[in-house]
Amino acid sequence: MDYLQLAEDVVKRVAAQGAEAEAYIVVGRESQVQVDQGKVEKLSHAGSKGLGVRVIVNGRMGYAYTSDFSAASIEETWRAALALARAADPDEHRVLPDPQPIPDEDLEVFDPALEQVPMEEKIAFALAVEEATLGADPRVALTNRCTYADSVASVYLVNSRGFAGHYRHSFAVSYVIAIGRDGEEQTMAFGLDASPFLADLDPQAIGQEAGEKAARLLGGQPVPTQEGTVVFSPIATAELVGALAQALTAEAMQRGRSFLLGKMGQDVASDVVSLLDNGRLRRGLASAPFDGEGVPTRATRLVDEGVLQAVLYDTYTAHREGRASTGNAARSSHRTPPTLAPTNFYLQPGSLSPEEIIAGVEQGLYVLSTMNTGGINPVSGDYSVAARGLWIEKGRLTYPVNEVTVAAPLERLLKQVQAVGNDLRFVPFGGIFGGPTIRVDGMTIGGR
Amino acid sequence: MIPVETVRRVLAEALRNGGDLAEVYLESKETLGLSLDDGRLERAIRGNDVGGGVRVFYGETAAYAYTDDLSEPALLEAARAAAAAARGTGAPRVLVDLTRRQSPLSFPIEKPFEALSEGEKAALLHRMDETARRHSPYVTQVQAGYHQLRRRVWVFNSEGLWAEDDRQILEFRIAVTAQRNGVLQRIGSGVGGQMGLELLDRDDPVALAREVAESAVIMLDARPAPAGEMTVVITNGWGGVLFHEACGHAMEADFVTKGTSAYTGMVGERVASPLVTAVDDATLPGRRGSFRFDDEGTPAQRTVLIEEGVLREYMWDLTEARRVGRTSTGNGRRQSFRHMPMPRMTNTFIAPGPHDPEEIIRSVRRGLFVKRLGGGQADIARGDFVFSVTEGYLIENGRLTAPVRGATLVGNGPQVLRQIDMVGTDWALDRGMGMCGKGQVARVSVGQPTIRVPKLTVGGTDQTITGQMGV
Repeated sequence: MDYLQLAEDVVKRVAAQGAEAEAYIVVGRESQVQVDQGKVEKLSHAGSKGLGVRVIVNGRMGYAYTSDFSAASIEETWRAALALARAADPDEHRVLPDPQPIPDEDLEVFDPALEQVPMEEKIAFALAVEEATLGADPRVALTNRCTYADSVASVYLVNSRGFAGHYRHSFAVSYVIAIGRDGEEQTMAFGLDASPFLADLDPQAIGQEAGEKAARLLGGQPVPTQEGTVVFSPIATAELVGALAQALTAEAMQRGRSFLLGKMGQDVASDVVSLLDNGRLRRGLASAPFDGEGVPTRATRLVDEGVLQAVLYDTYTAHREGRASTGNAARSSHRTPPTLAPTNFYLQPGSLSPEEIIAGVEQGLYVLSTMNTGGINPVSGDYSVAARGLWIEKGRLTYPVNEVTVAAPLERLLKQVQAVGNDLRFVPFGGIFGGPTIRVDGMTIGGR
Repeated sequence: MIPVETVRRVLAEALRNGGDLAEVYLESKETLGLSLDDGRLERAIRGNDVGGGVRVFYGETAAYAYTDDLSEPALLEAARAAAAAARGTGAPRVLVDLTRRQSPLSFPIEKPFEALSEGEKAALLHRMDETARRHSPYVTQVQAGYHQLRRRVWVFNSEGLWAEDDRQILEFRIAVTAQRNGVLQRIGSGVGGQMGLELLDRDDPVALAREVAESAVIMLDARPAPAGEMTVVITNGWGGVLFHEACGHAMEADFVTKGTSAYTGMVGERVASPLVTAVDDATLPGRRGSFRFDDEGTPAQRTVLIEEGVLREYMWDLTEARRVGRTSTGNGRRQSFRHMPMPRMTNTFIAPGPHDPEEIIRSVRRGLFVKRLGGGQADIARGDFVFSVTEGYLIENGRLTAPVRGATLVGNGPQVLRQIDMVGTDWALDRGMGMCGKGQVARVSVGQPTIRVPKLTVGGTDQTITGQMGV
C-alpha cells in the first residue's frame, strides 16, 4: 500500500468539507525477547500500523484514529474527527504549520541492518546481557526482565497546507535488572542502553552496569539527616533534567505552570549550567527530520551558562506569541494528536571527569539512582526524591547508602550546581533526557 | 467477532510444531476522550483499536505474535510466527471443542455512554471548570477530562476455553492550580468506575471539582514539610495505594516465582500486624479493576492475600501458575492485544479494622496526617517505597493543624505492614482513578480504612523540627 498516497487522500477528502486536515500514518514492526536463566522466557513479534487524523474547523480541533485500514473504517475515522471538531471550543491559535524546507542531512536515525537481524541473534544478545550481569559479581543472584527489543517504523505526514513528508527510524534497546543478594538482604539495580543502531549496544556493558550496581548497594543504610553535598550520577542527573524540561516549555509558561515563570533573561542557574534541546542530534533517540506536525527540528539553547534564554514551542504555543515553532511537536503514536515535548534534552557536559568531581568532595552523597513518584513538582519548584548511592568521605566513595531522600527547591538547586562532568549519557525514561555527573551543594539529605 | 471455525484453525496452526497450550486473544477498544484546559475544550479524540494475538506455551517459554489485521490469513500468519518462535518439536495436538463459558457476575450499565451527546459531555467539563474557578479567586488554572472506554475481549485456548468480556469504563479527572503571592499549588483527582453515565448520580464530578479547588487553595498556606521519622496517619480510600505499591506488587506471582519478592516462600507466615487483612477482588461491581474473566479467560475471583497478618496467597496468571503446576487466581491482565499478560492486581485493599478514625488522629501527639497521596513507586526486591504527599497536615496534640507541602513518605513496605498499630472502621475504596504501571498500564482500584504507622521517614525540605517528631 502507498501510505503517503493514503494520507494525501484522507487530507483531500477532509479539505473538500471545508476544513483543514492533517493525516499521520505510522507503519512498523517490532520484536522483543526476554530471557531468564539461559532460556527464552518471552518472545514477541508483530507488525502494526495506524492512522491519526487531525481536523481543524475555524480553530476547533477534532482528532480520531484507527488501526483498521479498510475504506469504511478510514472514512468513519475522518468523519469522526470532523464531528468532534464541531463539538470543541474555538481557539484562533489552533492552526496547521505552513510547509518549510527540510534540511537534507542524514541524522542517522535508521539502521537498515535492524530489518535483517534474525531472531536468533536477538536471543543471543539478551543471553549475553544476562551472562554479563551474573558474571559482574558473585553476589548477583539472578536477573529480572532481561530484555532485548527493537522496532523499525516508517512515518508519513501530510497536511492540507501542502506539507508531505516521510522518514524511517529504528530503535534498539536492551535492559536488565540485577538482583544482588547477601544473606537476607536484596538489592535491585538496572543496566540499560538504547540507540537507533544495534551496533552501538554492548551487552557486556549493560550487564556489568546492572550487576556491579546491585552488588555495590548491598548493605545500604540511611545516614543522619543533614544539609550537604550531593553528587548525581549521569542517570540521576538525567532524571532531574527530565523534571526541568517540563518547566521549560512555552505551554508551562503560558499557563503559569513553571517555577521559572517570569525569569526570562535572568540568572536561574549557576554559570556551569547550560540546558539544550536538540532534535537534530546525530543518532539521537528523539531525532527526526521534521516534528510531529511537519516543522523542521532544530537545536535550542534554553539555559546558557545559567541564563534562561528560551523555551520550547510547537505551532500552537508559537502562534499565541506570534513567533516560530522550535520544532517540538511530538507524536507518541497515531493515537494522540501532536503535543509539545522536548526531543533530545540534556545538560551540556563540562570538562571534569566524574572521578575529579568526587575527589573534590570532603563529605557527601554520591547518588546512583533516584526514585521519583511526584516529589518533583515543576510548578511549585519542589524537588524531593528517594535516593540510593554511596557515601563520599574525603573524596572517596565509601559505604552504601539507602532509604534517604535528597531535596531542595529547584530554584536553589540549580544555583548550587558547583561542577559538571564530561560523561553525558542519555536515558529513555518518559522522554530522551541526558546528563553528566554533577555536584550540587546545600541539599537536604533526609535519613535517620 | 470472528467465526469459531476460524479460531479453531488458528489454534491448530499455532500448535503445528507441538507446544503445550495455544491461545487466541481478540480485542476491540473504542474510546472517546475530551479534555478541557484554560476554559476551552481543546482535545476531542475518538479512537478505534482492533487486533489480536496468538500465544504458544512451550515448556517455560511463551511466544507471542500479534496483528491489527483480523483477517484469517493475518491471524494464521501470527499463529505461524508464534509457533516458529516456540520451536516446538512435539507432535501436533488434537483440539478439544470450544465451549463458551458463562460468568455469574453482572456489571450492569444503567445509562449508556450514548445517553449524552459529545456536546453535553463537553458542557459537564465546563461546569467542573467554572465550579473550581468560582471557589476562589486564587484558582488560576483548571484542567478537566472525560474518558469513556469500551473494551471487548475474546479469549480462546486449545484446552477448549472460550470466554468473552465486555468492560465499560468511565472517568472524569480534574487538576486545579491555585496561586497567591508567587506560591503555586496544583492538585489533581478523579472519579470513575466500571459503569455508564449513572456515575454522575453516584459521585458527581462537579462536586469533585469543588473539593479539589478547596484543597489546592488550602495548600497555598502550607508550610514546608518536616523531615525525619514520625508517626504517620494515612487516610482511607486512595491511601491504599501505599499497600498496592509497597506490598501488593511483591505478592504478584512473577516476582515470587523469580524469588525477587520479599514475600517469596512466606505463605503461612506472619508478614503483617494481626490488624491487617488484605484482599484482591476482581468481582466487585462498578470497580475499574473488575472483570468477568481476566485477559486469559480465567474467571474473576476474590483472593485473600493476608489474613489477620498471615500471608495466604499470591496473585497468579497462567504463565506463572503453569511454572509451578497450579491454577491461576485470575490475575492475568494485559494492556492490549499488543502485550502479553502478566500477573496484576485488580481491586486491592486492606480490610476494615476496629479503630474509630477520629480516635486514631487523637492518639498522635506529633505527626503527619496524609490526606492525599500522589503517585508512588516501590522496589519489589526490598519493598522500599517512596510516595509524595500532595495534601498533608501536621498532627499536634491529637488535632490536625497546619497544612504541609513537599512531603514524601519513604520506607519499607513489609516493615510498615508489621508496624501498623491502628486500623480504622472507615473502609473505603478509592473513587475510581487508579492507573498502575508495571511495564504495561492497567486500571486498578485501591482501598483501605484510616491506618496509623507509628514510625515512618518523612522527607521534606524543612529540617528545623527533626528529632522532635514522634508519638
